[in-house]
Amino acid sequence: MTSPSELDPFETHTGRPRSMPAPPPPSPPPAFDNTEAAPVYARFTDTDTMTLPPDPFIARPASRSAGITAQNVSAWFGDHKVLERVSLDMAPNRVTALIGPSGCGKSTFLRILNRMHELVHGAALAGVVELGGTDIYRGNLPVTETRRRIGMVFQKPNPFPTMTIAENVVSGLKLSGMKSTRSYAEIVEDCLVQAGLWNEVRNRLAAPGGSLSGGQQQRLCIARALAVEPHVLLMDEPCSALDPTSTRRIEETIAEICERITVVIVTHNMQQAQRVSQSCAFFLAGENEPGRIVESGPTERLFSEPEDTRTLDYVRGRFG
Amino acid sequence: MTTTAGEIDLRGDEPLYTPPEERIPFRSVDPADAWPLIGAGLSSLCLTWLIYERLTPLTGTIGFGIAWYATFLLIAWFVARANHDKLRARDQVVRIVMWSGGLALIVPLVAILGYIVLKGYHALHASFFTKDERFVGSLDKGTSGGARHAIIGTLEQVGIAMCISVPLGITTALYLNEIGGRLARPVRTIVDAMSALPSIVAGLFIYTSFVVVINHGQQNGLAGGLALAVMMLPTVTRTSEIVLRLVPGGLREAGLALGATDWRTTRNVVLPTARTGLVTAVILGLARVIGETAPLLLTIGGSRFVNWNVFKGQQSSLVLFVYNIFHTQTTAEQWKRGWTGALVLILLVLVLFVTARVIGGRGPAHIGRIKRWRLARKGLA
Repeated sequence: MTSPSELDPFETHTGRPRSMPAPPPPSPPPAFDNTEAAPVYARFTDTDTMTLPPDPFIARPASRSAGITAQNVSAWFGDHKVLERVSLDMAPNRVTALIGPSGCGKSTFLRILNRMHELVHGAALAGVVELGGTDIYRGNLPVTETRRRIGMVFQKPNPFPTMTIAENVVSGLKLSGMKSTRSYAEIVEDCLVQAGLWNEVRNRLAAPGGSLSGGQQQRLCIARALAVEPHVLLMDEPCSALDPTSTRRIEETIAEICERITVVIVTHNMQQAQRVSQSCAFFLAGENEPGRIVESGPTERLFSEPEDTRTLDYVRGRFG
Repeated sequence: MTTTAGEIDLRGDEPLYTPPEERIPFRSVDPADAWPLIGAGLSSLCLTWLIYERLTPLTGTIGFGIAWYATFLLIAWFVARANHDKLRARDQVVRIVMWSGGLALIVPLVAILGYIVLKGYHALHASFFTKDERFVGSLDKGTSGGARHAIIGTLEQVGIAMCISVPLGITTALYLNEIGGRLARPVRTIVDAMSALPSIVAGLFIYTSFVVVINHGQQNGLAGGLALAVMMLPTVTRTSEIVLRLVPGGLREAGLALGATDWRTTRNVVLPTARTGLVTAVILGLARVIGETAPLLLTIGGSRFVNWNVFKGQQSSLVLFVYNIFHTQTTAEQWKRGWTGALVLILLVLVLFVTARVIGGRGPAHIGRIKRWRLARKGLA
């Protein structure tokens, strides 16, 4: 008889394989009183593009990133096949971009990765999806725990309208029944800082989540997704409805969080894929055919010297 | 150089005064069209009078009104056609029809309300709420006695009906909308069929199944509440279902994507978002049953004195009180109390509606004082 925790390859909420030794304890905090450490988050206040060097005094949480692997994934909606034998390896601590024309199955693939696909009536699936070596469909990981570890940000910002900004951030803790040693106020600040929203909303945390602008709402959704400490964050065209400034903010956030989390992003914007991602996969669906991955690999190679002419045509903007 | 409105610019050689901006009034109706309309009204009145009084042997006020309205529309059409093209003329005539439709709805409503207030306020004294009909006879004055027993009965029976049908209705709506299993379609059909159930049948059902079989023929308030619950259930269920369907699917997905179970998502995301609509569902259900007489005729028995106990003994209710007075009494003096009963019933509905709106009717984004305090305690505000 094995207890559920032995089947779990991770220690919950740390993402560290059990076999691995614990990381060295964080260096002791600086001796001086840093109550007036306002400049710490200076890079989030200004709207110019200046980036300060990383501050050694900010204690960053340890990486809990885990890789996610898809093998021969096929998907159907009823009798309609939308994906055929898609295999992709999304390495930990990296940003993987999924590109391709509309209707080629990128979003479906993304939703398969955190078991949202099965919520659609008539959806079916074949293949293997593994999170850090555990099969999320056949393994012992409950579906709610899978979704908590693999967070998702949707195309349309969807903060909970009945909750305040602060409540929205911690809503995931309540919804998933997750216990945290930190206080709610701490989590709210930390996640909003990570999502680059703290300085804009710090004085109105009790305002309704829907009172923010579209870009701010999307960053609130990112903060909400980060609060449950996911190992992977899936983003489904998170910037498609946003203005350039908000888009840049979110790209900064992605660059920031991928130090600790694996990020998979669907985007229609070639420049964005080039800017934020290290790996890239190009999806394509022929006429009346399911979507397939034409080519995948490091982003630089895919955009400079792709092997397939269709990839070249797409990244150069000749179709799609 | 910019100068704000109303400010005198001192920098120029001569002082410049910029008057404040004039706002443009938006008009959807051209006032030039109003006079022809009045003309059309008058000329159609004359024409109808001519037809009724001089040309044909027709009589009757209602017929006159209908004929007037028809001629008015016809003349309005010709006038509009003389001034404008076909499209705009048609638009004008349709606009008149819509306006008159709205008026036709408001006029009888206000008339009924006004009539009841006029008739009912004579006997509306404090004693109406503090006394029952224990010592009231057919020769007493209309202001004697009161309807305390009936008000208590109505509140208790409607309360029972709400306690049964609101949880049951909302749960059914959640089943239909959030789970939607194999049984969803038959359940929906049955609920639809139930909403068309004649109210006397609901009363008869409770009479034969509850009063006769379980209660050994004893009528009581509980039976009345059950009969009302049968009437209320389909309204609450269907309205709640429609309201729950309006909650964006994106919110459900957001909840699930955070690792929530279905129930947590429903409880913490779907239900709070739909709260205002659910209150409307309860209000509609309340409105459906509070004026129902037929289910109560067979189930509560009627009473002339206060009975708080819904489980034992017969009860009265405001609708039954009004019904009995007009049914059994013969003098206008006695009918006064009936009119007052009707007025109190309307006031009661008003009070219940306002209460429901105040308790749960604010928009989903509203953050009340209690919630703010709770948030502050957690350090989130």
